[in-house]
Amino acid sequence: MAEPTTDVLPAVSVRDVTRTYRRPRPAPFRPAPLVAALRGVSLDVAPGQRFGIVGESGSGKSTLLRIIAALERPTSGTVHVEGNDITALPERRLRGLRQRLQLVFQDPMGSLDPRMRVGDIVAEPLVAQGHAAPRDRVAELLQAVGLSADAANRYPHQFSGGQRQRISIARALAPRPHILVADEPVSALDVSVRAQVLNLVADLVDELSLTLVFVSHDLSVVRRVCDTVAVMHAGEVVETGSTSQVYDDPQHDYTKRLVSSIPTLRRALAGVTARDLAAGAAGEVA
Amino acid sequence: MTAGATGTVLRVRDLAVGVRDTDLVLVDAFDIARGERVGLIGESGSGKSLTALAVMGLLDEGLQVSGSVRLAGVDHDLVGADDRRMARVRGRHVAMVFQEPMTALNPTMRVGDQVAETMLLHGSRGSRSAARSAAVDLLRQVHIPDPEQAARAYPHQLSGGQRQRVVIAIALANDPALLVCDEPTTALDVTVQAQVLDVLVSGAAARGAALLFITHDLAVVATVCQRVLVMYGGHVVEAGTVQDVFTRPRHPYTAGLLAASDLDAVDDRGRLRTIAGTVPAAGHFPDGCVFRNRCPNAQDDCAVAPPWTGPHQASGYACHHPVPAVAEVGRG
Repeated sequence: MAEPTTDVLPAVSVRDVTRTYRRPRPAPFRPAPLVAALRGVSLDVAPGQRFGIVGESGSGKSTLLRIIAALERPTSGTVHVEGNDITALPERRLRGLRQRLQLVFQDPMGSLDPRMRVGDIVAEPLVAQGHAAPRDRVAELLQAVGLSADAANRYPHQFSGGQRQRISIARALAPRPHILVADEPVSALDVSVRAQVLNLVADLVDELSLTLVFVSHDLSVVRRVCDTVAVMHAGEVVETGSTSQVYDDPQHDYTKRLVSSIPTLRRALAGVTARDLAAGAAGEVA
Repeated sequence: MTAGATGTVLRVRDLAVGVRDTDLVLVDAFDIARGERVGLIGESGSGKSLTALAVMGLLDEGLQVSGSVRLAGVDHDLVGADDRRMARVRGRHVAMVFQEPMTALNPTMRVGDQVAETMLLHGSRGSRSAARSAAVDLLRQVHIPDPEQAARAYPHQLSGGQRQRVVIAIALANDPALLVCDEPTTALDVTVQAQVLDVLVSGAAARGAALLFITHDLAVVATVCQRVLVMYGGHVVEAGTVQDVFTRPRHPYTAGLLAASDLDAVDDRGRLRTIAGTVPAAGHFPDGCVFRNRCPNAQDDCAVAPPWTGPHQASGYACHHPVPAVAEVGRG
C-alpha cells in the first residue's frame, strides 16, 4: 500500500480515485445534480497478476476501467501505470501508455471499424505509433488468436461474434503491451464460444506474461480467469481477495447477495429455485 | 377450450420455417402441458427464436411457414392465420416477453396505461378506470415498489429490471395460457435477474400459465424449467426432463453445451471444454445429422439423418452414436 518503489512497481496502482459526473440541469436556474460514479477507489495490480473487477451496472467498474486506460480523467486521486502517473499527463504524452496498456471491449462489432479490412484493423495501433506495419506481424498476430492469415483481407462483418472478439484481441496485442485490460469480453458470446475465448485469453496471458485486468458482471467467469478480484458496489470497492476466497466465502454483505443470486447448474439440479435465488439477492439467508 | 380439456396448452406438429429453398427450422413435434415450464436451449443460430416467433405468428413476411401450431382456447391453427385473427390471440391466449424491455414498451406512453391497454383491447376489463386499477394491481404483483406512482412513469424513468417487470405485467394481464419468454433476463444484472425470474415463475404459476423459456444460459433453464428441448440447426436434437438431460445427456451436442458452460470443469490440459468449430450460417448445415461436422462421435452413417430415439417426443434424442447412457459428463 506504500508509494510505488523502484523495486516491484505495481503494474497498475489506483489511489483514492473519485469521479463525479454532472447531470443535466433539471431547470434553468437550479444547480446541476452531481452523480458520484467512483467514491475513493484504491487498488494495486501486481505485474503478472490476473485481476478481476466485478460489479453490476452502475457500480462504477466501467468508469474505473476507462480511467485506468486514460480514456477519462478522475475528479481526484491518481493512477500509476508501471510507475508513471497517467492522470497528470496531457493527451499527447499518453503514447507510452497506449503501448504498455491495451483494451478489449465487450462488443466487437462496435469497436471494429466496419469499413476497414481486418489486417488494417490489427495493424492500426502500430501505424498510430509510427511503426511501419509489417505484414508478417499481422499474420503472426492473427495466428496467435487462432485465425488464418487470409482473414487479413476480409471485413469484420464476415466473421462471427467469437471471431470478431479474436480480432479485437489481436489488435490489442499488436503493440506488445504489458497490460491487457478487457471490458466484459465474453458477455455477448454463446457459452461454447465463451469457453474458446476464455481459453485464448488465458493462453495469451501465460505465453506473453501479460498482466490482465478483467472487468465483468459475471463472478463465475472472473473466477475462472482471474486469481484476484475486487468487488465494486455503488462506486466503491467493497471486497478484495483471491477469487476462490471471495466466491466461496464472501465477507461483505453485498458480495454475499451477489454470490447467492448466481444461477448455477449444480445448485439448480440440487433443487434451488428462482424463489431461492431472489431471496439470496434480497439478502435473506436461503 | 379445444385442447384444454386434455391438459395440453400448446401442440406443435411438423413446423417448418424457411426462405426459398433453405429450411431454417424443422420441428417434428412438441407439446406443452398446462402450467408446465419448458426450456428451449441452443447456441445463437440454432433456430430457437424462430421457433418462438413462429408460435407467436410474428415471423417476417418473407419466411415460409408450414405445419401446425394449436393453442388451447383458440379454434384455429396459428400457422397461416391472418394478422386480424392473430391480434385476438396474442396478448390474450399467448403473450411474449422479449430480451430488451425498452424496445417492447412504448416510450411515449405511461407504463400504467400500457398495462391497461392490453386489457382494454381484449375486453377483459369493461371500463378504463377498472383497467387502470387492475394495472396498478398487476404492477404490485410483479413487485414494483410504489405501483401507483410507477404507473404514471414513462419507460425511460424506470430501471432495466423494472421495465422488464412492466413487460411481464403486460404479458400476464389477460391470464394467458402460454407465456413465451425469449432471453428475458439476459440484459439484466444477476441480482435483478434472480428477482425477475422469481416474479415470472410465480406470476405464471398463479395463473396456471405454461412457460416456453428460451435462453442460451443453461443454469437459468435448470433453475426455471421442468423440461428442456435442445435445438441445433433448426432441429430438436434432444428432449427430456431438466434432471435427465442435464445430468445424463445423450446427444453429443447437449454434452458439449453442458461441458462448455461448466466453468469449474477443465480437461487434462487445464482448459475449459469447448465445442469444436462454430455454428454454420443458415443453410450451410450438413445434410444428414446437422451436428456431424462438429461432432466428436461422427461417423460415415451420420450422413443419414438420425431417427428419434426415445419413448415419445418429450423424451429422447436424435443421434446414431449417442453419449453412453451411464457416462457422467464430469459433474456431480
